[in-house]
Amino acid sequence: MPRDASTDKPLVELVNVTKIYPPDIVALEDVSLRIYKGEIFFLTGMSGAGKTTLIKLICRLETPTRGLIEVAGRDISRISPAGIQRMRQKIGIAYQEFRLLEKQTVLQNIAMAMEVTYASTKAIHARVDELLALLNLSDKRDKRTGELSRGEQQRVALARAAANGPSLLLADEPTGNLDPAATELVINLFRHLNEKNGSTIVVATHDKSIYAETEHRVMDLHNGHLSAHPNRAPRQIELFEA
Amino acid sequence: MHFLAYIVRQTGKNLRQTWGTQVMTLLTVTLSVLLFAFFFLIYNNMLRASARLGDDLRLIVYLDQEIPEQNRPEIEKKIHEFGPVEKIVFVSRAEAFSRLRAQLDKEKDVLNDLGPDFLPPSIEVYPLKNLHDLTKISQFSDFLLTLPHAAKVQSGSDWLRRFGDFTNLLQVVVLLSGVLLIISMTFIISYTLRLTVVSRQGELEILRLLGATSAYIRLPLLLEGMLQGFLGSSLGLGALYFLYQWTTSRFSGPGFLNLFDFAFFPPELTAAILLAGVALCTGGSLFSIRRFISI
Ligand SMILES: Nc1ncnc2c1ncn2[C@@H]1O[C@H](COP(=O)(O)OP(=O)(O)O)[C@@H](O)[C@H]1O
Ligand SMILES: [Mg+2]
Repeated sequence: MPRDASTDKPLVELVNVTKIYPPDIVALEDVSLRIYKGEIFFLTGMSGAGKTTLIKLICRLETPTRGLIEVAGRDISRISPAGIQRMRQKIGIAYQEFRLLEKQTVLQNIAMAMEVTYASTKAIHARVDELLALLNLSDKRDKRTGELSRGEQQRVALARAAANGPSLLLADEPTGNLDPAATELVINLFRHLNEKNGSTIVVATHDKSIYAETEHRVMDLHNGHLSAHPNRAPRQIELFEA
Repeated sequence: MHFLAYIVRQTGKNLRQTWGTQVMTLLTVTLSVLLFAFFFLIYNNMLRASARLGDDLRLIVYLDQEIPEQNRPEIEKKIHEFGPVEKIVFVSRAEAFSRLRAQLDKEKDVLNDLGPDFLPPSIEVYPLKNLHDLTKISQFSDFLLTLPHAAKVQSGSDWLRRFGDFTNLLQVVVLLSGVLLIISMTFIISYTLRLTVVSRQGELEILRLLGATSAYIRLPLLLEGMLQGFLGSSLGLGALYFLYQWTTSRFSGPGFLNLFDFAFFPPELTAAILLAGVALCTGGSLFSIRRFISI
């Protein structure tokens, strides 16, 4: 459900953000962006364009070299370490490299995200079963994640990101290892979270198949510069004219 | 409620993951406490014994002639000038004789042949209790020897001095073992904690990404230190108590131990040692957590 951008307050706002990795690798340059509450937002771009960097900046795994980043109206460079941890409990992140504990089971991996919020064991089990069913992983619940295929691991990473019903879900290349059927399941999960939970969803991807048909906003990163996606530019203009 | 349950469960998980090291730590803590408590127990009993000996500590100045009544205040004054005393008793030949008679009671016939003059007159000086410092006592007895007609001063101080020297030595041993206790405990606790942190590095990193608060991560580790301190100190003290029981039952009857009325720590002191062990281990954990964990 695309939102009317002019009235809502943005959930995430970047103002002239530049990120330079030492010594002088410019990952993002002068990026300004607003992501609204309840939106599904696609961030596209080739490998090395700066998508992952942008996602890390939003949850403060990296700090910008210049510029301002606000989440839910707060300048995140001014939030205390404890505040950042509380913020991360409400942001689900599916990392490009998954970051699962391979020696622990699917259940344990997903449960960790909920345990840090002191959820009850009962609630954790119910939620894990629900998510695994949605992602067609129910039979893998008690397997160690190290024994799963890349595609399965990817979905576990997504389930963990979705576990707390986050206000904001950041998914970095969520379909990179998935076949079309599994990709469909993931898209459905996003839709489910967005509609049932009101989650704002940011998908960084270079997989055309998942944004080609979408009615949601798509923006493109190219060498650290952000612009409306070329294929989408006309529609965006139409939208503003309407 | 949930919070506590999580902390306890996480602690249990930690302990299971690194149980080998945990056992080593527990042993080290136990042995440190045992060693320290052992020396401390002996020292404690020596102190008690010397306090008791000090109770009937008196200096007897034997005289080569009776001091007439009118000269006594002058001598008393001299003694008072030298140091604080509780009381001074002049004992004449006759008094000494009748005392001995009273002591011998049934066998007082032995004295018939000797006559009332065979015992020397004396002055009994009872120093104040605060004169327990043994060097002061020996100074005092040196002084008493300079009194007119003093022939000999008996203070049992030679024996007391050796006893005191031993107590002083023991004090050093207790202090050393206390220092050793502190060093070994903090070292082993810190070492274990580092191992835990290293073995859980990956997990701690993910927890940070998932938004775990610092309490969620640190409290279980702190609890682990506390638990080690409590169990280790209890075991160490328990072992010492067992040793004490065994020794006293083996060497019961008249002997060295009975002479000193050898006793275990009173409950308050036992609790204090236990608490100190817990505090040390907790402190060690706290210190290492700050050093090794950045969240
Ligand atoms: N930690 C880092 N240190 C140095 N350079 C980095 C680091 N992370 C990313 N980069 C560089 O920044 C640029 C953007 O990377 P990234 O954000 O990962 O792009 P994408 O996710 O779109 O592939 C790339 O040139 C990459 O090499
Ligand atoms: Mg990337």
